[in-house]
Amino acid sequence: MLLEVKDLDVRYDRLRAVKGVDISVGEQEIVTVLGANGAGKTTLLRAIQGVVRAARGSVRFAGEDVTTADVPSRVRKGLVLVPEGRQIFVSLTVHDNLLMGAYTRRDAGLAAEIDAIYDRFPNLGQRRDMPASVLSGGEQQMLAISRALLSKPKLMMLDEPSLGLSPLYVQRMFDLIGALNRDGLSILLVEQNTSMALATAARATLLELGTAVLAGPSGEVAASERLTSAYLGAR
Amino acid sequence: MLILQQVANGVLLGAIYVTIALAFTLTIGILNFLNFTIPPIFMLSAMTAWAAAQFGLPFGIFGPMPWTVALAFGIVVAILASLLVERLTFRYLKVRYGDATEHAIPLVSSLGFLLVFQNGIRMAYGTEPHRFITPLGDMSLHLGGIFISLPQVLSLALALIIVFSLSYLLKRTRTGRALRSIAENPDAALLMGVDVARIVPVIFILTGLLCGIAGSIFAVNYGQVYSGMGDEVGNKAIAGMVLGGMGSIWGAIVGGLLIGLVETMSIYLFGGDTVQSVVWGLLLVALVLRPEGLFGHHGIGKGKF
Repeated sequence: MLLEVKDLDVRYDRLRAVKGVDISVGEQEIVTVLGANGAGKTTLLRAIQGVVRAARGSVRFAGEDVTTADVPSRVRKGLVLVPEGRQIFVSLTVHDNLLMGAYTRRDAGLAAEIDAIYDRFPNLGQRRDMPASVLSGGEQQMLAISRALLSKPKLMMLDEPSLGLSPLYVQRMFDLIGALNRDGLSILLVEQNTSMALATAARATLLELGTAVLAGPSGEVAASERLTSAYLGAR
Repeated sequence: MLILQQVANGVLLGAIYVTIALAFTLTIGILNFLNFTIPPIFMLSAMTAWAAAQFGLPFGIFGPMPWTVALAFGIVVAILASLLVERLTFRYLKVRYGDATEHAIPLVSSLGFLLVFQNGIRMAYGTEPHRFITPLGDMSLHLGGIFISLPQVLSLALALIIVFSLSYLLKRTRTGRALRSIAENPDAALLMGVDVARIVPVIFILTGLLCGIAGSIFAVNYGQVYSGMGDEVGNKAIAGMVLGGMGSIWGAIVGGLLIGLVETMSIYLFGGDTVQSVVWGLLLVALVLRPEGLFGHHGIGKGKF
């Protein structure tokens, strides 16, 4: 397994936001984490990236224990998070945003990779020297994913990437996730769009109030009654 | 001719304000932190240079130094003092309370440092001015009746070089991009792999360097240093920064030079007593007309680290 999280606990003061969660992502696998608002999905991703500390449990990535590693060293190992709300740098140019994505890299070949991104997303290429604030929401999401790609990740974690996008861009976004995965990238996806996430992912984990209540192949999770009750709050 | 002479003097004064205003604008623009230790560090570097030239290092480690070495020593001390401030106000408090969005804490503790530095120097060397003598002080150029001292020319050139290199650093280098991304969104910068805690001291090193250079310019040009020299210069530099637009490098240079010019011109035209009212009055008017300053802009790039 590329990523193996065991018995992970995250606390904010006395509140346990994530309680004893196990989750794993294999090489070139797409795994999705589902759950209602406040179930702990974002906190789980932030703990895996090292932005918040794990109170208990372990995180192994690419064969190494990274439980206590800081965020920059996890990025260098190939773990990257595209955060909720995209968080692109609106005061920087599109091009500088991409260069920030490659911050941890010191190798040649970056220019060619950036050109490939501009070929893939001509809208970004045309606005390369403009502040990223001029981009539409969909373009900003493409920039956020492209930026994350430039760190040369093995595993990309995406937090609500379809949030606030037009149906056209939601489709493009899921197409992009599929294409990146076929190129060898592993993906851990947190999504509100449950049906599309389950259709894209091989396995799914359902969180309820910080606890993983259901995990398995996407088809089984999709068929489970627990899934609807998790969102509707019924038991 | 006399008026052109005033312009030349104003530009020199402005060059000092520009350098200090740059130090202020860097910490405000990137860390959203009004660092009150900037004026005392400026004073500390000049006083250290004077003491090193006069007495050398304490306990006979090193005798009186040549003025150039003494100035360099003053700059090094300014950088170290600035790093100490980072360690004990900014970093310590961030680590302790986890979140430096609580601006009041670094702000108040930097005020504390202001008093510590200033009173420490006062206790050691008193409040009276001390002469800082360099051979440069006597050299001058005559351009069509205007008297421009060599240090004036060098100071202005130095200030311009600093502005251009800082602008290059921020716009074109990897570290500069990281600093600008921290200014806008430290959380996202961390996700890019920027070691925020490691890069913040860079700001304080630059701040110390700018204060040290301004201290050297002051000492060489006016031939004297004193423990209160930071107050006046610091206030005017803040005025220059606000006038130019907080967080803007080009704002700092234009604002600083304008304040220097307005100061010497108001002395020339209306007399020395009017300086404060003219400078601050002008600033108030400018802020009413254009609250974001000449080169500032709203909203974008507000750091919250």
